[in-house]
Amino acid sequence: MKKLSEEQLNGLQQDLDAIRDEVLADLGERDATYIRKIIRLHRTLEVGGRVMMPFGFIPPVFVAATASLGIAKILENMEIGHNVMHGQYDWMNDPALNSQTYEWDTVCTSESWRQTHNYEHHTYTNIIGKDRDYGYAVLRLGDDVKWHPGHLLQFVNYILLTVLFQWGVGVHELESEKIRRGELRWRDKLPFLKDFARKGGRQAFKDYVFFPLLTLPVAPIVLAGNVGANLIRNIWASTVIFCGHFTQDAETFTEEECEGESKGHWYLRQLSGSSNFTGGKWLHVLSGHLSYQVEHHVFPDLPAHRYPEISAKVQEVCKKYDIPYNTGSFAKQYGTVLSRIARFSLPDAVRTRLEQRGSGQLQAI
Amino acid sequence: MLARLTQTKALHWLGRQLLNRDDPAAWLDPLAGAINPMWVQEYTPARVERIMAETAGTKTFVLKPASRWTGFEAGQHVNICTEIDGIRRTRTFSLSSSPELWHKQGLITLTIKRLPGGLVTNWLHDSLSEGDILGLADAFGEFLVPQPAKPVLFIAGGSGITPVLSQLETMAASHYPAPVTLLYFVRTGNDIIGREKLEAIAARYPGLTLNIIATHEGKEPRFLCDADLEAIDGLKEREAYLCGPKGLMDLATELLQQRGLAESQMHSTFFAPPAPAALDNDQLGGEVSFTRSSVDVGSEGDANLLEIAEAAGLKPRYGCRMGICHQCSCRKTSGTVVNRLTGKVSGPGEESVQLCVSVPRGPVQIDV
Repeated sequence: MKKLSEEQLNGLQQDLDAIRDEVLADLGERDATYIRKIIRLHRTLEVGGRVMMPFGFIPPVFVAATASLGIAKILENMEIGHNVMHGQYDWMNDPALNSQTYEWDTVCTSESWRQTHNYEHHTYTNIIGKDRDYGYAVLRLGDDVKWHPGHLLQFVNYILLTVLFQWGVGVHELESEKIRRGELRWRDKLPFLKDFARKGGRQAFKDYVFFPLLTLPVAPIVLAGNVGANLIRNIWASTVIFCGHFTQDAETFTEEECEGESKGHWYLRQLSGSSNFTGGKWLHVLSGHLSYQVEHHVFPDLPAHRYPEISAKVQEVCKKYDIPYNTGSFAKQYGTVLSRIARFSLPDAVRTRLEQRGSGQLQAI
Repeated sequence: MLARLTQTKALHWLGRQLLNRDDPAAWLDPLAGAINPMWVQEYTPARVERIMAETAGTKTFVLKPASRWTGFEAGQHVNICTEIDGIRRTRTFSLSSSPELWHKQGLITLTIKRLPGGLVTNWLHDSLSEGDILGLADAFGEFLVPQPAKPVLFIAGGSGITPVLSQLETMAASHYPAPVTLLYFVRTGNDIIGREKLEAIAARYPGLTLNIIATHEGKEPRFLCDADLEAIDGLKEREAYLCGPKGLMDLATELLQQRGLAESQMHSTFFAPPAPAALDNDQLGGEVSFTRSSVDVGSEGDANLLEIAEAAGLKPRYGCRMGICHQCSCRKTSGTVVNRLTGKVSGPGEESVQLCVSVPRGPVQIDV
């Protein structure tokens, strides 16, 4: 990570705080109208998708219904749920958009999400050993984890995690790796498991029992469509989220270097550990503006649709302190994520030889 | 129709399972409300039918609540909710119409005075138009016409006449069988709210003795005095209803007590004054009430609410402790806090605050 003096860190804090204060002072009707518009779009897509689904025995209708429901779930999880739970809209005083009570359309309970994501991930971002999102405890993404032959097949883990992403996220708080290591007992996680079973049960009931049975003669079609919609959301969410911190240039940190961290240092870590991707307006909306992961990590509780507006200012601040601003096309960033997963599947010796040979070839040219 | 659906327990349970919320019927609001704002389920909507000027600073808003609204009794008040610049604000106002208007025509009126520096009253006067929608809650309040009938004395000042208007209409319509006297204090003749209504009621209801007194029209201010009470027949047996500025209420209470009325005979409804002018920024600290835990504790200096709670033995949930993750967000039901991160001072009413960065400024009530 770029080494900054204490004075520079204080300056960084002041400059970023100023951007935040400016946005906070400007929040008002425009933001309320925006989130309400997105919610209206979500309702339209979900109602449309579910109404069309029983007619899915006509193939184009099946595609339209599944896509509609899948996009509805993506919007609800990423642009609405994730952002509302971050407290981005608490200032509106609308009880339906309160970060502490909002419950989202996925098997993960909002309670568990607030704990593992809002608190743990955002506070300890990319600190190895503290940010359990780094690799989700099923992928080796850095050399801090000792390689063993099983890692050669970790792309299977990646595919499973992606396809079943909502279940992976839902059970993330279980800390199964700690249970396996004997640091925690199953008994300690019983309250969490009960909540998870309840919410997971409700979601499975809704998509895989209730709606199929509602139109019994075409139940298998509705079931297939609902599975498809959840799959679409899982794959999209996993891909976007992996692009946030696992790209090539996203840095990781040790616990020691972050001990007693100042706010300026926290800002620096958030800037260095996050990565953006570029694209059109709808790509940003569908990613819940996680395409602006850097801005999101620096200002998690500012309404996400504001991130594109402040991005230029954030980049200016980065330039001022010579901090790299990690961005690139969606394809390029995702490519580096896949590359990371592949490289760390290999034993360290093989990986370093490949990397040297790769950079050596570049130098030779 | 949707309301009847939502009242079935089984369907309500199913709705909660499917839609992940305690008010499942409101899930469709973004679509239903776009077609017809009166179909919203999250709150009870009321349409603004007409706006009438009463005096220079007072307007009467005629509202049509959704038919599922539960109605009210004369003298009660109601919380209305409106969105101003993206933020929902709730305020309480007395209903100035009689329940009969609601039963017969489905209408209610709120007579609202513009408060200097008041956010909502000024917005209602300047920005609310016919056709707009306000949120309406259930009516509440104990400021009710005595049943069975007893002789009544109303002492009202300024906009405090509003609940009394409702009660007088009701009494007139039911030919209330006991004598009623109203002492109504206004600054000048131009400030009489509901003058035509009061005169019409006095004309058709002989039981009412109407006495309107302008306090600032003569050379000297003329406030409530004992002589006003002297003129009232059977004062000691009357139920006294007081509604107006604090000064008038205190004076009236004192004079009535001197005249031998018991506390049980005196009924008051308070109109909260507007928020006080900005205090010194060094006036941090105050009495903090954690209402759910029934713990009251004082604080000084810039201790934040999370530290105050923990020092008092409470264990509210927290996360980063630096105002980012919102894990410690709780409901402040009243009082003012300063956000240490932004320096911003909160409003005095109900809102969500992050405990770890909120410092009390004066007495504060938190739902923890």
